Amino acid sequence: MPGFDFSNYNRNAALHAQGMPLPKATSTGTTIVGCIFDGGVVIAADTRATSGPIVADKNCEKLHYIAPQIWCAGAGTAADTEFTTALISSQLELHAMSTGRKPRVVTCMTMLKQHLFRYQGHIGAYLVVAGVDPTGTHLFTVHAHGSTDKLPYVTMGSGSLAAMSVFESKWKAELTQEEAVELASQAILAGIWNDLGSGSNVDVAVITPEKTTLKRNLIKPNEKAPKLQSYKFARGTTAVLNEKIIKKSEIGRYVSVQEVPLESDKMEVDS
Amino acid sequence: MSLRIVPENSQATSFSHTNRTTSAPSAPGVHDTLRHGVAQSPFDAAANKPSSAHPLEARLKSWEATQESLRMETLRRTYGIAEPVRRGMELKIVRDGEWRPLALGGGLPSVHEDILKGREDMISWEDVFTGDEMRGVPGVHDEMERKLKMQ
Repeated sequence: MPGFDFSNYNRNAALHAQGMPLPKATSTGTTIVGCIFDGGVVIAADTRATSGPIVADKNCEKLHYIAPQIWCAGAGTAADTEFTTALISSQLELHAMSTGRKPRVVTCMTMLKQHLFRYQGHIGAYLVVAGVDPTGTHLFTVHAHGSTDKLPYVTMGSGSLAAMSVFESKWKAELTQEEAVELASQAILAGIWNDLGSGSNVDVAVITPEKTTLKRNLIKPNEKAPKLQSYKFARGTTAVLNEKIIKKSEIGRYVSVQEVPLESDKMEVDS
Repeated sequence: MSLRIVPENSQATSFSHTNRTTSAPSAPGVHDTLRHGVAQSPFDAAANKPSSAHPLEARLKSWEATQESLRMETLRRTYGIAEPVRRGMELKIVRDGEWRPLALGGGLPSVHEDILKGREDMISWEDVFTGDEMRGVPGVHDEMERKLKMQ
C-alpha cells in the first residue's frame, strides 16, 4: 500500500479479538491563536510539546511555513501537523508554478480540508491558516475531520478556551499591528498559565502584504532560574601531587613512531 | 451512473492472506513466503487490492477512481458520451504503450497518464512512499506468464 501502511491492521484486530487491550488514546495539548488587524494578520502559538504527561520539548516550533505570505499554526499530533503542512506547502508551490500566480489562502485552506477529509480524521492535524494574498487578508481554522471556519479571531487546541476568553473580552474591530500582536500574545499567555498542555514561550508571526515577520520566542515568561548552588569545583581544587611532561620529540623513547606520507596512502572511499 | 464524491463504505468483512496469486504452483492455496515475502504480493498491489480490512484503506484505494468517475459522469452530462469515451481511450492508449517490469517497482503512473488525469502539478505521499520496499520482487518470467495469461 503506498502512503499509509495498513499491513498490521488485521494482526492487531485478531490480537484484540483474543483479549489484548487496545492502546490508550493520547490527549494532546496546545494553544494557538490567530487575529486579523488592519492591513494584515497575526498568528501565535505556545512552544510546549507533550507526550502524555511528559513535556517532550520545552521550545518547539508550532508555526509552520506554507508560502512566503501564508503561515500555519498547528495543534494536535505534532508529526501530522508538520507533515501535512509540508505536503500542502509543496502542492501549493507546484500549483503556483503551474498557474503562474501567487498562491491564495483559500486554495491552501481547500487543499488542507480536502486532504484531511479524505483521511477521515485519522490525521490529527488541527490548524490555523493565516495569510495575505492579492484578494486580501484571510484567517481560517481547519479541523482534523475537514471542517473549516472563517472568523476575525480564532483559537485552537486545549488552551483555546482560555485564549478565547481573552479575545472575547479585549478584541475590538480595527486593531493596529502592535495591538494585535499584544492581544495574540496575551491570549497565548492565558493558555500557557491556565492550560496544563500548553507552556513555555510565545511565538508570533505577523503577516502583512509586504512581508512576514516571525517573532520566535517573543515573550519568555518561563526562563529557567539559575540554581542557588553550583556543584562545579573551581580550577585547582584538587592538589597536583606529581607531574611529568613528555615532549613530542622524545616520544620515540616510549613507543615506535612511523611517519606516514600525507598524500600517498589515502584510504579508499566511495565518492 | 451516480455522482458520488466520496467512495461508499465498502471495506472487506473478511480478509485472506492465502489467495491463489501468492501461492506456489506446486502448493496452491498456501502462501509462498519464500517467493512472495511476508508483505502483500506485488501483483495484488498492482491490482490495487487492499491489504487489510481497515475502512480507511478501502476508502483511500477507491478515492481516485470515485473522483474520476464523478468527473467522467459530469462530462457525460455536459458534452455527451463522446467526451468520457475519448478520454478513456486516450488513457488506455497511454497505459498500453507503457510497460515496465514489476521488478523495477510498479505503482507510480507514467508522466503521460498524470497529464491526462490532470495530476501533473500534484505531489502526494503515495508518490514518495510507494510501499515497494516492503514487497517481494516478482520474477520476470512469472510476470510475463501472467501478462500473457499462460498461468
